[in-house]
Amino acid sequence: MKKIFALIMALVMLTVLVSCSGAKDSGSGSAEKKTFIMGIDPEYPPFSFLGEDGNYTGFDVEICQAACDYLGWEMKIFGVNWDEKLIQLDSNECDCIWSGMTILDSMKEAGYVISKPYYDNTQVIVVKADSGYNSSADLAGKLVAVQLGTSGEALLNGDLADLAATFGDVITADSFLKCFTELAGNAVDAVFVDMPVAASYAAEHEGYKIIDEQLGAEQYGIAFRSGDEALCDEIEKAVAALVENGTYAKIAEKYPDIVNNLLFLND
Amino acid sequence: MSEIKKSGSADVTPILEIRGLQKSFGELSVLKDISLSVDPGNVLSIIGPSGSGKSTLLRCASFLETANGGDILYDGKYAFKDGEYAGKAELNQFRTLFGMVFQNFNLFPHYSVMKNICEPPVLRGQDKEKVRARAEELLKKMGLEGKEDAYPYQLSGGQQQRVAIARALALEPEILYFDEPTSALDPELTGEVLKVIRQLADDHMTMVVVTHEMAFARAVSNRVIFMDGGFIIEEGHPEEVFGNPQQERTRRFLSNYTQ
Amino acid sequence: MSLTTMILKMSEGLGKTCAIFFLTLLFSLPLGMIVALLRMSRNKIISSVTRFFINILRGTPLMLQLLAVTYGPYYLFGISVSRNKLIPVVIAFAINYAAYFAEIYRGGIESIPAGQYEAAEVLGYSKTQTFLRIILPQVVKRIMPSVTNEVVTLVKDTSLAFTVSYQEMFTIGKQIANSQTSFVPFVVAGVFYYLFNLIVDRVMGLIEKRLNYYK
Repeated sequence: MKKIFALIMALVMLTVLVSCSGAKDSGSGSAEKKTFIMGIDPEYPPFSFLGEDGNYTGFDVEICQAACDYLGWEMKIFGVNWDEKLIQLDSNECDCIWSGMTILDSMKEAGYVISKPYYDNTQVIVVKADSGYNSSADLAGKLVAVQLGTSGEALLNGDLADLAATFGDVITADSFLKCFTELAGNAVDAVFVDMPVAASYAAEHEGYKIIDEQLGAEQYGIAFRSGDEALCDEIEKAVAALVENGTYAKIAEKYPDIVNNLLFLND
Repeated sequence: MSEIKKSGSADVTPILEIRGLQKSFGELSVLKDISLSVDPGNVLSIIGPSGSGKSTLLRCASFLETANGGDILYDGKYAFKDGEYAGKAELNQFRTLFGMVFQNFNLFPHYSVMKNICEPPVLRGQDKEKVRARAEELLKKMGLEGKEDAYPYQLSGGQQQRVAIARALALEPEILYFDEPTSALDPELTGEVLKVIRQLADDHMTMVVVTHEMAFARAVSNRVIFMDGGFIIEEGHPEEVFGNPQQERTRRFLSNYTQ
Repeated sequence: MSLTTMILKMSEGLGKTCAIFFLTLLFSLPLGMIVALLRMSRNKIISSVTRFFINILRGTPLMLQLLAVTYGPYYLFGISVSRNKLIPVVIAFAINYAAYFAEIYRGGIESIPAGQYEAAEVLGYSKTQTFLRIILPQVVKRIMPSVTNEVVTLVKDTSLAFTVSYQEMFTIGKQIANSQTSFVPFVVAGVFYYLFNLIVDRVMGLIEKRLNYYK
């Protein structure tokens, strides 16, 4: 396991290095560049995912890259295990978690530095188009999948516990793709997932529909280690500059599913 | 040693008869045209240098090795004829006629002495009580009273070999084969095993003994065969073979053993 | 969430962990013997095909096999993914462990001296009697330490079931860790696995002791 993981890591780092080499020159050109390691969920489109060309991409990845270019930093990407993301952050495997991450109160209580929210997210339920389920009430006694470690899971255990109690069972999978595989293979009846993920999945795959019911509003932010206020500040300022000079909006255009919920563009 | 019946006399059917037996391992020919017979109550010793084919001969006679040519007969019936074996059921029938004592004892380590001896006859459908009584008698004869519940690892090599002999005898074979029964033993332990075999000879047990113990072979056997290079070089009464060997090779071999 | 609640919640998953453990042993121990016998078959085709499968099962991660057994039938043939995940999990585990056990059995069987077979043959044991009465009991004793190793590994491997969304103890631990932003559930999981293996170790030790009546 460890070896395979190390191999994957080596490949990831290699691709990042190769993909970064083109954009390198925009910095100050000093010999020692600051390296900023971005922690992402590699399977979380459209915020962060493996692109067609084999490199990580997504809205968050592109914004971070632009911010690092702006700051003259070298950016590296680290794919975290989503349900262990904070432990990996604590162990310095990456410098932030920036990947469509829902801001939870428990994170702030635990001392993590959380950026200003940049995205308004809602949870929705995806079902098969021919299933005949039209509301969350129709799912009483049914199996619902949710990704382990996501805000959706937190909601079902927290604010939406009453709704969750009406389901037959809540199945936690370790990636949102597995949630949808379970749905495709009829192992579950519905998937409880972030709105943008649901929208992009339903757009790319036939036979699914999103139940028209917005469940639990929440916001996305970037998490840093406790004590990294300065780092958070620098990133926030860089992003503000990108918003200012229009780069932010340009990148956002490529992601129509989420553009309406981006807080910096819809103030 | 009294000569019970002269080998090859017309009125007696030999228990074991081998004619023109051949055996090769790939290119290597180990037995080349071996013929012999053993009459009831006789003891045949087979001597010869290592690699002469003595053990292979016993292993062919007990079907542990597949011979390539010749005949093997038990009680005048063909078990192996012109390079063809009898059917499986028949071979099993022939197997009840002989017993085998191995150089390395080959006791079953997970069985007690008693179970080692009793299980084979019981599996053949014999009465448990009778088998047990016979086993106790045999152990007594082997000087192993009180060892019924011991496990092989708790016994000396000599004791283990005596258990192996008792195990073979418990099936009441007509003929017993010994494949270098004392070669794996410390010198001080060979005596107790040889004593038991001698005792069996006195009881007119029919036996074929492959051995390096020349004095023992001379004292116990009715006939001795000297083998070398897959052939029987010399055969006869022990006094003839040991006292007045006719062949140069026999003399040379024996001179290594006698001062 | 209090530690007690945490432990209670995780104990619920422990039942599923135990189910994987015991069912895997129940199926893989005998299946391994069949595979070992096929592997040792004199028929070259049977033995090499068996060897090929053993190599695949031992040469690929169990996690991958779990995914293949659980989702493979759906992707390949459109067969619905099982709602009771215990079924694909136990199938994948049993097949994988059977491959390991088969190689252990084979090593054990091949370590029995030829003289044992020869003695049994001369004494009139049939092939089946020889195997069941003479060879197998000795093999069992010889392979006990290796089997114990595998069983201990199995306890820890049960946590891999999370990859196919089976809600065993470790998965529940992860859920709690997330919702509570706490490392404590992993400690609890570690303690659970350790205690589980402590019991396994004792039981296997007892069995080994019982087999120690001979050498």
